[in-house]
Amino acid sequence: MPLALPDLQAAFAAHVTGRDRADLVACIVGDTISADARLRIYRHHVSHSLSAALAATFPTVQALVGEGFFRTLAWGFMAQTLPGQPVLAEYGAEFPAFVAADEPARDLPYLADIAWLDWALNVVFHSPEGRRLAAADLAGIAAERLPLLSISLPEGASLIRSRYPIDRIWNASQPGASADTVDLGAGRTDLLVLRRGDDAAFIVLDAGEAAFVAALAEGMSLETAAEKGMSAEPAFDLSTAFARLLTLKAFAASQHNLEG
Amino acid sequence: MSAVAGIGLRALHLAEIARDQPATGFLEIHAENYLGASPARAAIERLRESYTFSIHAVGLSLGSADGLDEHHLARVAGLVKRLEPDYVSDHLSWSVHGGRYFNDLLPLPYTEEVLDVVVRNVGRLQEALGRQVSIENPSCYLAFAHSTLTEPEFLAELARRSGCGLLLDINNIVVTAHNLRLDPNGWLSGLPGEAITEYHLAGHAVNDCDGEPILIDDHGSCVGPEAWALFDAAIRRYGVRPTLIEWDTDIPALSVLLDEAAKADRTIATAGPDAARAA
Repeated sequence: MPLALPDLQAAFAAHVTGRDRADLVACIVGDTISADARLRIYRHHVSHSLSAALAATFPTVQALVGEGFFRTLAWGFMAQTLPGQPVLAEYGAEFPAFVAADEPARDLPYLADIAWLDWALNVVFHSPEGRRLAAADLAGIAAERLPLLSISLPEGASLIRSRYPIDRIWNASQPGASADTVDLGAGRTDLLVLRRGDDAAFIVLDAGEAAFVAALAEGMSLETAAEKGMSAEPAFDLSTAFARLLTLKAFAASQHNLEG
Repeated sequence: MSAVAGIGLRALHLAEIARDQPATGFLEIHAENYLGASPARAAIERLRESYTFSIHAVGLSLGSADGLDEHHLARVAGLVKRLEPDYVSDHLSWSVHGGRYFNDLLPLPYTEEVLDVVVRNVGRLQEALGRQVSIENPSCYLAFAHSTLTEPEFLAELARRSGCGLLLDINNIVVTAHNLRLDPNGWLSGLPGEAITEYHLAGHAVNDCDGEPILIDDHGSCVGPEAWALFDAAIRRYGVRPTLIEWDTDIPALSVLLDEAAKADRTIATAGPDAARAA
């Protein structure tokens, strides 16, 4: 009995994701190559092409665990989450959380944070660069209004906060990097991930700067964010940190930022 | 004659093409790789000043009984508007069901029921883009027992009813004909030539399936001899059209793609008088 198209597509979708459907097999011409074997080609292609897409988005995770283990992780993830749309660069937002919860991956406690970093770099690469805030943009603003400004991050930028030295792990995992060992006990790292020219990049922040940037990202004013910076790191100095971040083009020059 | 063969633009070659601006008939991009505001899209937009473009979508899922994903359609329409390409295409296949995307060109039964679905979806696509699109024959690894039309009959009827063009993938004909025990020349002979807008050429792999060779459309090698022979037959029968060299896995140096495109141009030049009469 042939399946109507909606039923056939539902059955095919189930079959390519690993659930055998006898009603679908019965619709397919088998000869010396069986209908089952013919369907397996599609099942194989779906899993391999999506695994390759995840590897392209999480290259550092794959470099750290190797292709075989990465494929196992990817297949486990795909069993839970398939892409919701056809842009593969937008597939995998839930992968870092999956890695964090994955039992075999727990031997590498920093792996989920590296996955977050890969994802953040991917997101920012596909976001517009946008104009960045420069000192000149602030020149016309009255001094008493400055503390009240809320300064936003560039579109797609994000803060990654890890208990591990993920900047060094990331650098050591890049193609052509020297095989230096990274001391996992070296302490926490805070990274601001943003587009820089044609690349996705990260800036290493100290604890005060990280608390300051996190507060700004949440929409707090410069004054309140500076207080957060100081409570995280008593030596935090607003003018030094702000000037450094302005030089690194870490803030968006949105109208909102300038109007305060 | 001037070059008519173009190449698929791959991220790996983007900087080299931008720097050296090699002569080629046109550049074809996959729509889904350029929907975000990435530096790659900015680079493509700069190249648009020097090259003719083709936008080849892989994810519109024109065979979905559910209809098209309007959000994705709007994004593709936005890219088409920005780039104003000469050609726009996608496949006779489906890849989305129940809001999940499978990243493969999945096969369709060729029946009147499915024809209605594809005609409706292609109509919606052409309406959203405000232009004709071309539909490509997929590579098939199976056939449905309840199909009542052949693939060429289905494509011909689709073109007649929707007004779409046909993108003839020569390698996919070779792959499908081998895998489904069809005669590739017979497959080729039943098309409405005036609807054909573009040819695709690519390589395929040979895998083992139940102890028998099956051809896999992996776009990972040079165009094979059967595809070159069928390409020659196609242009003699239907005339010359913009022709693309596609390469998606194990991507070689840009010069290899340009050499393949030059080979397509030589095939076209050799077939010249017949091809001109056919056109």
